[in-house]
Amino acid sequence: MRVLLIIPAYNEEENILNTCNKIKEFSKELDFVVINDGSKDNTLKILQENSINHINLIKNLGIGGAVQTGYKYAYENGYDIAIQFDGDGQHDVNYVSNICKPIIEGKADMAIGTRYLDKSASSFQSTFMRRLGSKIICALIKITTKTKVTDPTSGFRAVNKDIIEVFANEYPSDYPEPESIVNITNLGYKIMDVPVSMNEREGGKSSINVWKSAHYMIKVSLAIIIDSLNKRRVK
Amino acid sequence: MSVNLTIAVAIIFVLMMLIIINKVRKGKLQLAYSIFWIISGIILIIVLLIPNCISNITNLLGFEVISNMIFFITIVMAFYLILQLMTELSKEAKRNVSLIQEISLLKKRVTDIENEKNKENKGE
Repeated sequence: MRVLLIIPAYNEEENILNTCNKIKEFSKELDFVVINDGSKDNTLKILQENSINHINLIKNLGIGGAVQTGYKYAYENGYDIAIQFDGDGQHDVNYVSNICKPIIEGKADMAIGTRYLDKSASSFQSTFMRRLGSKIICALIKITTKTKVTDPTSGFRAVNKDIIEVFANEYPSDYPEPESIVNITNLGYKIMDVPVSMNEREGGKSSINVWKSAHYMIKVSLAIIIDSLNKRRVK
Repeated sequence: MSVNLTIAVAIIFVLMMLIIINKVRKGKLQLAYSIFWIISGIILIIVLLIPNCISNITNLLGFEVISNMIFFITIVMAFYLILQLMTELSKEAKRNVSLIQEISLLKKRVTDIENEKNKENKGE
């Protein structure tokens, strides 16, 4: 089983080296690729100087386009499992084996690391507003696809070979995390939640701003409803 | 419509057609995008040349005044065109993204191969 960590990075000079070192400490056999999404800071320099395996996007694409590049790389290189992993230190590499487990056992095609399931393990449950937003998106996904997820915006997720191919060909660009859940269920694939704990950002600034949240909620709801109108295909 | 006005409108549209055709000729505008304008220009000139055509159409469609009908038709056409442009733009954006992705992936591959070669050379 060949496993690839896809690490999208935009202006992550403070965190990226730390994240990569932690992955190397965790396992020497785990492959990872950092997608530098046209960072304006020294991210690229750090990646080159430390000879970290990376793809440098020649222009900024945004999170959806960056992650899809990772899936294309995974597809071209024949990986069996691809895991999305944030470069900002929010995700804990120790949960990689947990998140791979349902996929290796064939219980699910996609596993999503959720911070809301295991309350004792989670040191960081995020703010009230974020949790509320998550709940609303969950409810929408449940209504439109009858699939239960608990952390629809989690960027910590693992997918099997079939979905790597699906994502390499077509990946939502607007709100990739919740939208891809809807698309994947529409195609008849199975999704499973895996409890993980997430850290608060170690450095840098989160790209999500409080004032943008309301705007985000409206657009993401619309995106989910429109995506769910796509034809359902049973695998 | 007065004769003077009819002549003025006809001149403006003939000029517009000439500009459009010239742009296509120079390759600045794709033929596919010009067809809409050329056909609507031709229809407009025909309508202008037939006496009482516009007022008859206005009465037939139930508009009170000619200008109302013209504004209505123009706005509907403009909306259609904007939608068409946005569709075209989305398609281009998608193509652009996959181009950037493919080039970046290729660049990575080239650098990897170069690095491997350098290592081999140093090994000798």
